[in-house]
Amino acid sequence: MLSENEIISTLEMLKNEHLDVRTVTLGINLFDCVSHDLNTLKKNIHNKIIKVAGNLVNVCDRIGEKYGIPVVNKRISVSPAAVFGAPFSTSQFVEIAIALNLAATEANVDFIGGFTALVEKGISKGDRALIEAIPEALTETDRVCSSINVASSRAGINMDAVLIMGKIIKKAAQLTSDKDGLACAKLCVFANIPQDIPFMAGAYLGIGEAEAVINVGVSGPGVVKKAIDRAIASDPDIDLGRIAELIKRTSYKVTRIGELIGREVADHLKIRFGVVDLSLAPTPNVGDSVGEIFQSLGLLSIGVPGSTAALALLNNAVKTGGAFASSHVGGLSGAFIPVSEDLNISESVRAGYLSLEKLEALTSVCSVGLDMVAIPGNTSEDTIAAIIADEMAIGVINKKTTAARLIPVPGKKAGESAYFGGLLGKATIMHVNNADGSNRFIRFGGLIPAPIQNLTN
Amino acid sequence: MNKSVISVLGQDRPGIIAAVTSILFKLDCNIENINQTILQSEFSGIFIASIPLDLTNDILCSQLTGALAHLDLCVYVKPLKHKEEGFNAAGCEPFIITTIGPDRKGLVAGITEIIAKHGVNVTNLKAIFKGGDNPTDNVMIYEVDIPNEIDQQILRKELIKRASELGLDISIQHRNIFMSINRI
Repeated sequence: MLSENEIISTLEMLKNEHLDVRTVTLGINLFDCVSHDLNTLKKNIHNKIIKVAGNLVNVCDRIGEKYGIPVVNKRISVSPAAVFGAPFSTSQFVEIAIALNLAATEANVDFIGGFTALVEKGISKGDRALIEAIPEALTETDRVCSSINVASSRAGINMDAVLIMGKIIKKAAQLTSDKDGLACAKLCVFANIPQDIPFMAGAYLGIGEAEAVINVGVSGPGVVKKAIDRAIASDPDIDLGRIAELIKRTSYKVTRIGELIGREVADHLKIRFGVVDLSLAPTPNVGDSVGEIFQSLGLLSIGVPGSTAALALLNNAVKTGGAFASSHVGGLSGAFIPVSEDLNISESVRAGYLSLEKLEALTSVCSVGLDMVAIPGNTSEDTIAAIIADEMAIGVINKKTTAARLIPVPGKKAGESAYFGGLLGKATIMHVNNADGSNRFIRFGGLIPAPIQNLTN
Repeated sequence: MNKSVISVLGQDRPGIIAAVTSILFKLDCNIENINQTILQSEFSGIFIASIPLDLTNDILCSQLTGALAHLDLCVYVKPLKHKEEGFNAAGCEPFIITTIGPDRKGLVAGITEIIAKHGVNVTNLKAIFKGGDNPTDNVMIYEVDIPNEIDQQILRKELIKRASELGLDISIQHRNIFMSINRI
């Protein structure tokens, strides 16, 4: 028999604290769709996606209703397009992106990820063609997401790829200048990209994964914040060890929901269940913010001194609770700090508390990286590449995932606002040092060698 | 041995269970299940016991009533029917229906009318109406078994409509979500 408290507290999380399943992402292997003929490839892709994912949205909605917990987004990730589309040219890759977009639209999912290349050690012909196609592909489509892995702790940092991505991001922004560079919001540059991320824009189905797999991304920054607020209200002398314990317990609950929903969706679709990504993913709504957690922890705002320590506590407690709740935890799993997607973080930038440099420091102790960061439109390719290189270095040396999702907003300066709409939110454009300057270091190119695996200080 | 159901009702005080069970022991009855609850100041207990063949329910009832008179308790005894004559929970899924909203007359009747109409069985019910604005002070929690063969969409629609007429916020959720979150 359930206790009254168990039922009421669960309802409270669902109704008033924005607890939801942020995404159920169906990974689909497309390697058996390959063909030397583009039209055949496109037809195969379409048929396979509709066959595997045609029922995804209905099943998720039905199961969401059964448990009274909304599955906010239903998404698809596919095998890296640079691999299954390797023979094709840049213009043909744009057509592949359009085919993916069409299938996603028909399956009624909001995003499809996997316009992806893995180039941490070198760039193949197919990789290069895909990368060159990104600006147009992301402009011509509205649901396709792209990710490029340019670095890993085993391979090092491919600085040639980093420089190219500086150029690609700039071009993608220019092609969508009427939408504040929206195409860049669908493009992530990674170090150590996981094969099973359910969250966009980094979702793709890894080469080592099954034929089809269900990965789930849960979210619950509002639940964590309310739990901290309640604990401090009932005991103002609570210490950080006990707060960490509280976050851990909350993360446990959130993760259990993800696994319950994910397994049931997977059972219904007769597809293998993959992982729960137990990230705290905010939305641009009050009460659904990671930034607000910093204030609950006694900081004036995210970005002020103390923020890195607070985020380290938060991130580690989230992981610890999640790992206990499920043996199938993967993806990014940690706290996200996407600037535009979190009302509170966006406000901290506007108020001057959070700089790009502090944001970079924060990414050394949390998942993701420089996420949804709007920068001045005149930021040069070199500087964009240099920001990426710095972020990749944090990931490579610390053996963790980092990513950069940078949006150089065309025609706008630091301090102005950029609007991306919906979940992508709005952001104050951050100041960048030497924004429009050149950078000789980046242009040396080559590979920054991988770190040694001992002497770990 | 036959099985009997014994229900005991009265103002709560120490010693009720001890008094009832000592009489059952003296009459050579074997207790199989007990459940008790206290609502405000009222005690209610239900006992299932196997009783000797020569002990009728009427004799058991009169023995209990006499022995418990000093505690001012009402006693009712009936034979336990075979399970297949009652509601069969096999082929059902356990759900929790929760309503939150201000107290007024007819809330339980209004909700249970819909539940009963669809052949859904209530296995546990807690209703608290303390008045005031705190949502958790005016709550009904129904644990129910919903037969697999009924159309849940129609049940949901009717419950939501009725709840809205009664000024209640209603949730209908499979029990597993509460188990997953709260139990290891």
